[in-house]
Amino acid sequence: MALNRRQFLWGSLAAATATAGLSACGGRSGGEGGPASLALAWWGNPTRNANTTAAIDLYLQSHEGTSITAQPGEWASYWDRLATQTAGGSAPDVIQMDMAYLGEYGARGALLDLSQYDIDTSSFAEGTADSGEIDGAVYGINAGINTPVLMANPALFEQAGLPMPDDTTWTWDDLRTISAEVAAGAGIPFGVVGVWASEDYLELWLRQQGKSLFSEDGGLGFEAADAAEWLEMALSFQEAGATGSPSQIGEEAAKSLDQSAIAVGTGAMQTFWSNQLEALSEAAGTELTLLRYPSSTGSATDRATYYKASMLWSASARTEDPEAAAALIDWWVNSPEAAGINLAERGIPANTEVRDAITPELSEVQQRVVQFIADIEPETTDAPSAPPAGGGALEAIFLRAYTDVLFGSSTPSDAAQAFVDEASSNLSG
Amino acid sequence: MSAISELTSLRRDKSGSSPEDRRMRAKEAGRDNKAGYLFLLPWLVGLVVITIGPLLASLYLSFTDYSLIQAPTWTGLDNYARMLEDPRLHNSLRVTFTYVFVSVPIQLALALAIALLLDRGMRGLPLYRSVFYLPSMLGSSVAIAILWRQMFGTSGLVNQVLALVGVESTTGWISDPDTALWTIVLLHVWTFGSPMIIFLAGLRQIPRMYYEAASVDGAGRWRSFVQITLPLLSPIIFFNLVLQVIGAFQSFTQAFVVSNGTGGPSDSTLFYTLYLYQRGFTDFQMGYASAMAWLLVIIVGVLTALNFFLSRYWVFYDE
Repeated sequence: MALNRRQFLWGSLAAATATAGLSACGGRSGGEGGPASLALAWWGNPTRNANTTAAIDLYLQSHEGTSITAQPGEWASYWDRLATQTAGGSAPDVIQMDMAYLGEYGARGALLDLSQYDIDTSSFAEGTADSGEIDGAVYGINAGINTPVLMANPALFEQAGLPMPDDTTWTWDDLRTISAEVAAGAGIPFGVVGVWASEDYLELWLRQQGKSLFSEDGGLGFEAADAAEWLEMALSFQEAGATGSPSQIGEEAAKSLDQSAIAVGTGAMQTFWSNQLEALSEAAGTELTLLRYPSSTGSATDRATYYKASMLWSASARTEDPEAAAALIDWWVNSPEAAGINLAERGIPANTEVRDAITPELSEVQQRVVQFIADIEPETTDAPSAPPAGGGALEAIFLRAYTDVLFGSSTPSDAAQAFVDEASSNLSG
Repeated sequence: MSAISELTSLRRDKSGSSPEDRRMRAKEAGRDNKAGYLFLLPWLVGLVVITIGPLLASLYLSFTDYSLIQAPTWTGLDNYARMLEDPRLHNSLRVTFTYVFVSVPIQLALALAIALLLDRGMRGLPLYRSVFYLPSMLGSSVAIAILWRQMFGTSGLVNQVLALVGVESTTGWISDPDTALWTIVLLHVWTFGSPMIIFLAGLRQIPRMYYEAASVDGAGRWRSFVQITLPLLSPIIFFNLVLQVIGAFQSFTQAFVVSNGTGGPSDSTLFYTLYLYQRGFTDFQMGYASAMAWLLVIIVGVLTALNFFLSRYWVFYDE
């Protein structure tokens, strides 16, 4: 035979070594980069990628000697990459950050305390300058304001022969009825998409019940009974034919913006953030409308909605040139030139002077967003605080509980208990 | 033997074996060794720097609480104790074992069957061989995993074909917890090409005269397969088995891409390596992830040892 015992042994040994190599994935590699070169990472969509690249070019024109490496990404994979880079000591210098992960990175010392550097927030709208503050340190600068909305496709409502819903008076029960009707009427799988795939809506609903997602002391701000009620509502929507089949719900949670149900015309309403209207309209190729999400009482002022920092600009604690990183952030949030390129795509600028300067330049779609943000002002309450370390995994844990309930392998109350147990042990761990 | 020593040994044949010759020979042997180590150097450096160094580091980290961002703190056996009470870890072991023990035997059986077919010396053999081997090169790629996600989705190709024959469904194969793992098993089975090539080479080594003798004695095709092919091929089967088991335990890309990194739906495709990745890079628990990696090394090591032990009873070396 071609193969004798010895050759065989060596072959197996090589394979075993390869296995052992897997356990070595915690290694570090050194960071790269000269003094005046910055890496800038963001997640986004085609519109934002084009804007951001153009803004970088403009910045480089007026800042000789600086070089910027662009690291665009996709929301879902962005966080895996950032974690890997951070562990490897090669985190990008300037990082587009989300509120959900600010605590995760900030509290663990991965982000620069920007209050030590020269970033001007004196012209920021009230309550927007401290979005990135945790225990006195500023880990992120507000990159734009947005608010949670339901994007709606009027064409599908028309197709189903239904009027657009009155979003100032509707309740969650109304949402279920209307979603089921529009899905059936227009012959599409989804009346409404995404409410339960997002921890933000759990938070919004909890706020309507006078509770919160996270408590002041960094634990959970709700109990298993609350989560069970939320899961029961989720199940009732699915059973009413308002949100597609369990399979479709699961697949939808993994899709990017331009493949989302509302963009491809298989959903009539979908949860998004107000700043995404333009990118979504472009992807959908049709005019979309912003709707307020429902309240529990039937009055929009009880929605407990808020202005959120749609994203923040953070800098890596290990950046070799913190001054240059801070200067870039300062330019991004305060200069009319930068805003002239980015407009309201990352959210309405927090700097009121910049906002006023660019409003006339905004597209019709973005002006509608500015109008919506202004309209809901009386309905807003304080924004929720940044999630504590360990809170970033909450959504994934909830999604599992939701799937278990949808596929009938767990009851809402059992799944809620499992969700609460795992989420709280993650927070303390 | 190097060219230098080959030349000197030629010279040596002419002269007798004096003390001087022996000294020369020892010196040349030393030079040979040095040259040998010099050629080995790239591999040795790689082994120490890229494999052994990080390996020892991960062993150390497995006894610590390490968040990637902050310095590790020593916690002794805490991580290992925690593994005993981690239901997701137990689930990931169940998923991985199911995957390995189902997909590897099916894959090997298919590889052997196709190899037997191709061994008949048909026309265009190189083409078939390449075509069947192709999936092995593509199977663990991201592109194929994405393709799989599209094909087995709710409105994917598979459901569309089923709809043509009248089976309408609003359930996707990859998004139903009951079927998701099996789509990945199928993906693994589909990559039967590399064991098939090895089987094919093994089949070619079996002397034809055995079959001729058997047919003279009146043995049928099945009898020849069981009595001649299987025993003579058993070392190859064993080799493929060990390699594929080790490889299957390390599967990551398919589950990661198909489930979008979640191991979902409902953790039904939460491979051990995927869970390890989640703990290390999503939850920032690199200490725990390192401990998990060492558990995997132990599991694969024990299974491989068991494989070797059992091989005594069924592998036939015709040496």
